[in-house]
Amino acid sequence: MDALLDARPSAPAGLAAPRRAGRRRSRAWRVLGYVVLAVAAAAVLLPFYWMVMSSLKTNNDIFTLPVKWVPDSVVWHNYVDIWHKSDMTTWLRNTLVLSVAVTALQVFTGSFAAYGFAKVRFPGRDVLFLAYLATIAVPWQSYMIPQFILMSKLRLSNTLWSIIALQAFGAFGVFLMKQYYESIPDELVQAARIDGMSEYGIYRRIMLPLSVPALASLTLLTFVTTWNDYLGPLLYLRSHSIWTIQIGLKSFITTYNAEYALIMTGSVLSVLPIAIIFLVGQRYFVEGIASTGLKG
Amino acid sequence: MTSMPVARRRRGRLVWRNTLVGWSFLLPNFVGFAVLTLVPVVLLFYYAFTDWDVFGGAQWSGLANYRQLLHDHSFWTALENTLYYTVAHIPLTLAASLALALLLNRKLRGVAFFRTVAFFPYITSIVALAQVWNMLFSPGYGPINEILRWVGISHPPGWTTSSDWSMPAVIIVGTWREMGYYMLLFLAGLQTIPGHLYEAARVDGANAWQRFRAVTLPGLRPTTFFVTVMLTIGSFKVFDLILVMTNGGPGQSTLVLSQFIYQKGFVENQFGYASAVSIVLFLICLVVTVVQFAVNRRRSS
Amino acid sequence: MKRSIAVVLGAAATAISLVLTGCGSGSDSSDSSSGPVTLTLAGWSLSTTPEFKTLADGFHAAHPDVTVQLKEYDATNYDTQMIADLAAGKAPDIYVQKNLKNFYTYQHGKQLLDVSDVAKQLGDSVGGLSDYQVDGKTYAIPYRQDTWVLFYNKDLFTKAGVPDPDGSWTWDDYVNASKQLTAKLKSAGSKALGDYEHTWQSTVQGFALAQTPGASLQSGNFSYLKPYYSRALDLQKSGAQVSLGDATTNSLTYQAEFGKQQAAMMLMGTWYIATLLSQQASGDADQFQWGMAPAPQFDKSTTGTSATPVSFGDPTGLGINPKISKNKVAVAKQFLAYAAGTDGAKALAGIGITPANTSAVTGTFFALKGMPTDDLSKFAFATHNTKPENPVSKYTAGLQNILNDLHTSVMSANKPVDAAITDAQQRAKNEVLNK
Repeated sequence: MDALLDARPSAPAGLAAPRRAGRRRSRAWRVLGYVVLAVAAAAVLLPFYWMVMSSLKTNNDIFTLPVKWVPDSVVWHNYVDIWHKSDMTTWLRNTLVLSVAVTALQVFTGSFAAYGFAKVRFPGRDVLFLAYLATIAVPWQSYMIPQFILMSKLRLSNTLWSIIALQAFGAFGVFLMKQYYESIPDELVQAARIDGMSEYGIYRRIMLPLSVPALASLTLLTFVTTWNDYLGPLLYLRSHSIWTIQIGLKSFITTYNAEYALIMTGSVLSVLPIAIIFLVGQRYFVEGIASTGLKG
Repeated sequence: MTSMPVARRRRGRLVWRNTLVGWSFLLPNFVGFAVLTLVPVVLLFYYAFTDWDVFGGAQWSGLANYRQLLHDHSFWTALENTLYYTVAHIPLTLAASLALALLLNRKLRGVAFFRTVAFFPYITSIVALAQVWNMLFSPGYGPINEILRWVGISHPPGWTTSSDWSMPAVIIVGTWREMGYYMLLFLAGLQTIPGHLYEAARVDGANAWQRFRAVTLPGLRPTTFFVTVMLTIGSFKVFDLILVMTNGGPGQSTLVLSQFIYQKGFVENQFGYASAVSIVLFLICLVVTVVQFAVNRRRSS
Repeated sequence: MKRSIAVVLGAAATAISLVLTGCGSGSDSSDSSSGPVTLTLAGWSLSTTPEFKTLADGFHAAHPDVTVQLKEYDATNYDTQMIADLAAGKAPDIYVQKNLKNFYTYQHGKQLLDVSDVAKQLGDSVGGLSDYQVDGKTYAIPYRQDTWVLFYNKDLFTKAGVPDPDGSWTWDDYVNASKQLTAKLKSAGSKALGDYEHTWQSTVQGFALAQTPGASLQSGNFSYLKPYYSRALDLQKSGAQVSLGDATTNSLTYQAEFGKQQAAMMLMGTWYIATLLSQQASGDADQFQWGMAPAPQFDKSTTGTSATPVSFGDPTGLGINPKISKNKVAVAKQFLAYAAGTDGAKALAGIGITPANTSAVTGTFFALKGMPTDDLSKFAFATHNTKPENPVSKYTAGLQNILNDLHTSVMSANKPVDAAITDAQQRAKNEVLNK
């Protein structure tokens, strides 16, 4: 229980005898924890397992009753075929370009603006922030037409720029970073000001290093959102050469509407890049302040 | 000017300087935001009081759209369903994601794997998700009902094919999908809680639950607030998940406001009316958010 | 505070003026009337839908100085994309009316040029023309007119020992045949069912509306649906067809259900002919003998090959964007006349598409490889009284939404037919017809 509820349990400290008992108990908890995690992981992964298995079946084996959990024989050729039957390479490249550009812009402009909202006091600040927040509450499909007209007038539609413009300046990043900055004590900023540091210096040398976990989350979430966005690209990206993986996949489904094995193959391929990025980058979410040596 | 007292002048200069500095921080984001989001949203507010078919000019109609809303049975059904989804989805997701974050915020063997697993549902394309979940939920042949029958439930629910169970099915998938997302935010939030606070609580003899109440929860407040607001707005606006899973059916049992807006706009071509519904949805979100703000402010002071 | 608001308003005002003034413009008159002309034409899923390229190439061959350029749209979100493009003034010169449901939107929104002169020139050989007429003017020209017929698997009928359809069926005959097929196929060791009914509302409602005397969508009286739903529920309950719930949760496709011989009969639009031919050729569908028969009828009065069977189907039409530059209008109208005329019809029939001008092409059509050759198939293809699935009116889209809710709740057995009909009538009155 101890281990479950504390955000940062310290190593058990104390005398030898209670420590041994404590260790035995904590090992029991640990085993239980692993069991719970394993069951939860299995449940969470179930649909994904089904996706991967389907991609390894022949098309006829997918919709069988009762459900086949393991393919009769593993078929790898779907992973070869899909590259011939679709522009997977182009879609992946476009999506990657977009995701990187949007993420870079959103993280930079978002955290920059968040500093202004969180640590600089000036008139009109709160009203403006409310305007940011308010737009989050408006469903996109209700203003997408006026926005589309505007983008067309700016000659951005049917270019990759349209999606960058659409996603990069959202209110989400500003809000997230502002909340995080507010948990960093004002005294720290005040002290730096007294030391003669400029506001930009404080942002760069104090806030950024302190907010690595939040920056990492923002990076990942923006990346994933852009990667998985469907309606935006659907409306704005019309030429095949600038399609993203999601519209590509959807049009692929429409074209090969009965080839579920191939569709699932495409789905698996669309998820893989993010899964890898996450696996590599996940430690940054839990290594922020600890690595900078600040303990509040 | 010259007669102004020095102190006031200095304060004036400070305000002026701060405004300048503040705006310089906002500007890179604000330029894009104002042109591409704020302007269309402002236009939307205008269209919400018009009769607009998207092509021609919008005819000012005053409150006619809102009068129509009052008597639109489908609108009330959609509102009811949206509330149903929201009320069930928020606490479930909040609890699941916080539990996951606490569980995975430690140096366990294989923790990287489990974190990735928890995030998996969110990165999987929603089209593929709907396909798989619908299959799992299939009343006659799906694995879920197979398991339920195996544990002795002779009449398992019809899930997405039953008007009573379609909403729970959608809520399950919604929670399953989003918990990893919010877990990530909680994980980041947990990093701001200084470790010495736990030591101090331990020294004071607080047990695990008391430490959770006294240290973890208050330390997480900014994050919890952010998560709650985003989750609330996200739940009120839920759209794509329902669109691909049930498309509002069977009947109107999973029709939600966002979908109602899409239907009225793009299917029935009543963009003015659709805008008006958006404004109502917006106001609901706003009221709830403002209440959350107020509660948050009172708690943190 | 004042400052920030001023800045917001300033930016907003600039952008608003951009949007509001921008709407009206959009036509460029830079093209010169002499020399080569380029028309732009909307299409969807170009790689699997060859009809647009066929028409474009065919027209170019007849008019070498005119090039028809295709602009691709998404098949399922065609109207969303087109509405956005028209609103932004970026739509192509000629665009397709994918179904009748949205024709009102475009016509009423003044997004279609009057093409009455083309209609007059074509005469009445073209089916579905009248659906595009509003107040005596024609706003689009149909180039395909699909109609719903009964596809059946001859091999499975033989296996079950059930006599093939002979064109004399009413719906009760159809239900009996389906049940018989299911039982006999089962005892013959086949897993195939009697029929497959796809998940669309039109599979039930389209026939009910077209065949029932006096039935009308706009009347707000939907009692005509009842016998049709009773029969569909009966088939579903008896296990002669897959239930709606299983079809949706398992994402069944009608192409695979019929093409992979999961069902012996299927009611579907004639667009399926082209798909079935190409899938049998590519191996995506099994090899089997199939045929077409007229859809089952409301009563005996329209059955038999001496009568004209009643069915339904929306035409697919071409309309001209009013923002087309003036000097291209004449050429665009020529293109419409070509697409709907005999030459266009023959070109379309050559790739298995049912043109609006069916009588001209039955020969071409049945010469295609893999087509059935029996007389009833030819009769079913060529002879029918096809009524629109979505009669054009301002209420159609809204009413169809309501009826779709009725369809899903009745077919998933969440509501009895009578209650669902009462409910739909109530909603129609309060939400749609009162405008």
